[in-house]
Amino acid sequence: MDFFVKNLWGEDIPSLAGLRDKGKISFAEQGFPTIKTEAWKYSYFQPEDLGILQADVSEHICGEDCHCHEKQDLPFDAYRLKICNGNVSGHHFDFPEGILVKSLAEAIYDGDVKNYLNKSFDMNLFPFAALNTAYLEQGLFVCVERGFCADKPIYLNYHNHAEKNIFCNIRNIFVVESDANIVLIEDFNSEKDGQYFCNTVNEIYIGRNAHFRHYKKQNESAKAHHIALNCVNVKQNGTYTSFCHQNECIFARNETYVKLLEEGAEAKVDAVYKLQNNGHSDITTNIRHLAEHTVSNQLVKGVLSGNSKGVFQGQIHIAPDAQKTQGYQLHQALLLSDDAVVDCKPELEIFADDVKCSHGATSGDLDKNQLFYMQSRGIPYDEAKQILIDAYLNEVYSHIADDEIRQWIQKK
Amino acid sequence: MSEQLLKITDLCAGVAEKQILKNLSLTVNEGEVHAIMGPNGAGKSTLSNVLTGKFGYEITGGTIEFKGKNLLELKPEERAGEGIFLCMQYPVEISGVSVNNFLKHAVNAVRKYRGEKELDAAEFLKLLKSEAKKLNIAPEMLKRELNVGFSGGEKKRLETLQMSLLQPSLAILDEADSGLDIDALKMVAEGVNSLRNQHNSLLIITHHINLLDYINPDFVHIYADGRIIKSGGKELAEIVEKNGYGEFLQAVE
Ligand SMILES: Nc1ncnc2c1ncn2[C@@H]1O[C@H](COP(=O)(O)OP(=O)(O)OP(=O)(O)O)[C@@H](O)[C@H]1O
Ligand SMILES: [Mg+2]
Repeated sequence: MDFFVKNLWGEDIPSLAGLRDKGKISFAEQGFPTIKTEAWKYSYFQPEDLGILQADVSEHICGEDCHCHEKQDLPFDAYRLKICNGNVSGHHFDFPEGILVKSLAEAIYDGDVKNYLNKSFDMNLFPFAALNTAYLEQGLFVCVERGFCADKPIYLNYHNHAEKNIFCNIRNIFVVESDANIVLIEDFNSEKDGQYFCNTVNEIYIGRNAHFRHYKKQNESAKAHHIALNCVNVKQNGTYTSFCHQNECIFARNETYVKLLEEGAEAKVDAVYKLQNNGHSDITTNIRHLAEHTVSNQLVKGVLSGNSKGVFQGQIHIAPDAQKTQGYQLHQALLLSDDAVVDCKPELEIFADDVKCSHGATSGDLDKNQLFYMQSRGIPYDEAKQILIDAYLNEVYSHIADDEIRQWIQKK
Repeated sequence: MSEQLLKITDLCAGVAEKQILKNLSLTVNEGEVHAIMGPNGAGKSTLSNVLTGKFGYEITGGTIEFKGKNLLELKPEERAGEGIFLCMQYPVEISGVSVNNFLKHAVNAVRKYRGEKELDAAEFLKLLKSEAKKLNIAPEMLKRELNVGFSGGEKKRLETLQMSLLQPSLAILDEADSGLDIDALKMVAEGVNSLRNQHNSLLIITHHINLLDYINPDFVHIYADGRIIKSGGKELAEIVEKNGYGEFLQAVE
């Protein structure tokens, strides 16, 4: 069952070839999810309609003289990495000692990823992760060494400027060793209105007392299909703090699967999605409290107009041993048109008795009285509307601790 | 003679299931202060809402002219730009929007409408500080979310501040005095008085004479069942204060 044809690197490495085969088999068994697939029922994925099956995995490696190598302006200082048209591009020499960066292929070859590659999830539960495994090749391995606190964030730019319909299959592995500290910014962007299918899996391993802040901004072509899975393992007193910002595109799903493995582990998973036309945004989370005194907080807000659709599926699982844990979750959607819809599925699975856990969901339009109040003070209707939307979203944005990054994410 | 500012003629308006304003007529000239008094449910707030263009009301007859324009054709924000301001009986709370930020948007929107230069952050802050000081509004209050958790009196004070910032030519005060302690009442009255000149006019809706003692009205109208049943001077307010609306209502029957 080969959807996408390509000669992948490293077919002669038996462990890698074997892993890809397992991915192929698992994907063949699961297939593309349908409306009957519970985890995908609101985000029914139609590869034929989306043109995904025509996607091509040929090498879109940019030449030295490609304009996309020009250094783009950023309002913050960062260690820069780039994945262009689905291929890891350029060099990455300016990293300090303390941060090890390699292409995934190199890391596989050097044996760095034995304990990490495909260790954070079960392929049979995630069809696109199985697909991702079948085409394993492109991606990065980043390891922040024990006790190292990076002085600036890592900025990972996923840039797409291919004319053709391409399939970008990316696997990244981030290891933050104990007492280390890092900020990652993922920026998904594209030129033109290219149609492509981006399937990303991040495997993130956070050690004891280590802290990982993960920001993602997705601002892609309206025709982009974007599926991302973040599998995160957090050890004792480690923290995972994430913020995902999705803008209009035809299909986007950001799934976060966190295992709080040891006491004191913490996860904050926030997201904002903004849709105007026919966009589809899916935020799916699964926070698994597997030890005592673990904490999770989720705040997700959407603003929808046109014919767009938003989906939030949030699972909080508390294992029998995970006493004294706290898990909070809130999803809110602002529906600015009659045809915009939102589907929300919160799920709490609580097997321990001494826990604090809650979830909530609301959806509605802007408050007419508030709008009128502002208009009666001279503020034009559209401006008043924008002020209210900004106020509504600001509650989530204000969770972003880094000012410059916050401003950059808020700006389209 | 001063120029005519507002002319309401035979206005009929209501909500879907009910007519509230019934052939109401009222003319306000530049520089005049009119007070409206009337029993609960008479339709006083409805009149102020219709004047500001609030949603939900149906105009079934009559006309409203403001500065020679057909007011009913203007959007609420355009009416504010033209100079209509309503001190609301129940100001709206807006969480997530600071008083500061809100006021800056409002001041600049109105300036823009009036063809004046918009204020930059520093200019605005200077103006805001001096106006807030006059009304004894602490700077901390301006950093809070708009009206959220404000006491009744604080809300009214903030309405007064907005009025002085937006410099309306017709300020409508809908029970601006209710729930105020005596010092706050004085403060609101001072704010209103400082706005008074030969061009600006006031429409004051109140149940009590106290406010009228501070703001001397040129006319007092007794209002019942959606229209004005008697007009006169301040002596009418004194009768209401002493005896209620009884004799006015009987006279009509
Ligand atoms: N949206 C509405 N739906 C139904 N009835 C309404 C609506 N708005 C106003 N009314 C009714 O119209 C009448 C006039 O209301 P309004 O608020 O204008 O009175 P008021 O004179 O301001 O009273 P008060 O002195 O108590 O403030 C009341 O009987 C009220 O219940
Ligand atoms: Mg009233």
